[in-house]
Amino acid sequence: MMFPFLKIAVSNLFSKPSTENFPAENVEAKPNYRGRISYDAEKCINCGSCIKVCSPSAITRIYEDVEGGQNITYEFDLTSCTFCATCQDFCDQGAIQLTTDYHMVAEDPKDLVVRGTRFKKKIPGKLQVSDACIHCGICAKNCPQEAITVDRKAKTWEVDHSKCVQCGKCIEKCPKNALEFGESGPEGVLWDEEKCIYCSICAKKCPNECISVDRKEKSWEINRDNCVQCGICVEKCPKDALQIGTLE
Amino acid sequence: MFNKLIAKSTGKSPWIFHVNTGSCNGCDIELVAALTPRYDAERFGFKLAGTPRHADIVVVSGPITSQSKDRLIRTLEQVPEPKCVVTLGSCPQSGNVFKGSYSVEAPLEKFVHVDVAIAGCTPKPEAVIEGLYKAAEILQRKREAMKK
Repeated sequence: MMFPFLKIAVSNLFSKPSTENFPAENVEAKPNYRGRISYDAEKCINCGSCIKVCSPSAITRIYEDVEGGQNITYEFDLTSCTFCATCQDFCDQGAIQLTTDYHMVAEDPKDLVVRGTRFKKKIPGKLQVSDACIHCGICAKNCPQEAITVDRKAKTWEVDHSKCVQCGKCIEKCPKNALEFGESGPEGVLWDEEKCIYCSICAKKCPNECISVDRKEKSWEINRDNCVQCGICVEKCPKDALQIGTLE
Repeated sequence: MFNKLIAKSTGKSPWIFHVNTGSCNGCDIELVAALTPRYDAERFGFKLAGTPRHADIVVVSGPITSQSKDRLIRTLEQVPEPKCVVTLGSCPQSGNVFKGSYSVEAPLEKFVHVDVAIAGCTPKPEAVIEGLYKAAEILQRKREAMKK
């Protein structure tokens, strides 16, 4: 062969250019490319883990009081995002997805904010069950936080109030309308007599000076009228003897 | 007649000057990749200029560190009007993960009006071309406004 390159040269003469004809033809990103965030507000249960894990703090949550409840808006600032997809990994509900859309060009950076608003009904109190319950277990299956446990044989229904986020999905799904949010009593600081060592740190830290502790008499008192339930005493208690909850 | 010819041809050769203000190099690589034959931004006349005095479009990448802030401002002052400022990636827009740092001065909006924001960390070369294309359109609009 005298011209080993001749074959390639001729074939290249008739082949297409290797340059992408980009703006004329749209080029799809490869699968698993992490691009524009899509946020499904209907799936979101407002747990806030995405905000906690976001390293550039690109996610903001806005509460807006409206009639009959509140609007919860999540804003994802794409001009601040690192597209690490940690929010997607931590979202148990699959409400956050990073799509393969990479066309994120704007003259105004405000156009690069992904928003989603969800209306949340005002909830009076804790989840309750009535006698109409047939222990079918549908509520337990649909609970996103797995807060409800139902035993069909023993006919028991239990809810873990610390896990419940009051999303109301169980109430929607209940075939017998046996579930509801009950009336809640007044909230306040609860005191555990057994755990308390009468150190009086809570009294010192209280910004409204409504706690009085007598170390000799071993008494603990709170002025409920002045308490604003800020939770500082709960945080500072070395023995975890205080918590905020429903008063009996 | 010559002025018409110049006006038409300048629109087809917007020259880019790239400023790195403490970028991690990710965006810088993608900008250079956009100029390679595979993506070929030079089809539209985009060309890297060696000096800000020859440039029409300034592409800023990086979170604008305190060290580079003065140099960035000096560079931007040298670019003749009409100019177009493009931010590449999240960093110059918000500071990205570096926001709140003592040595970071982002956002760029504090110092100069930003015409086009390209989001992504890092943006794909296609997105870079899209952003530059938009910047060239804005540049042309600014030129026409200047004539009037």
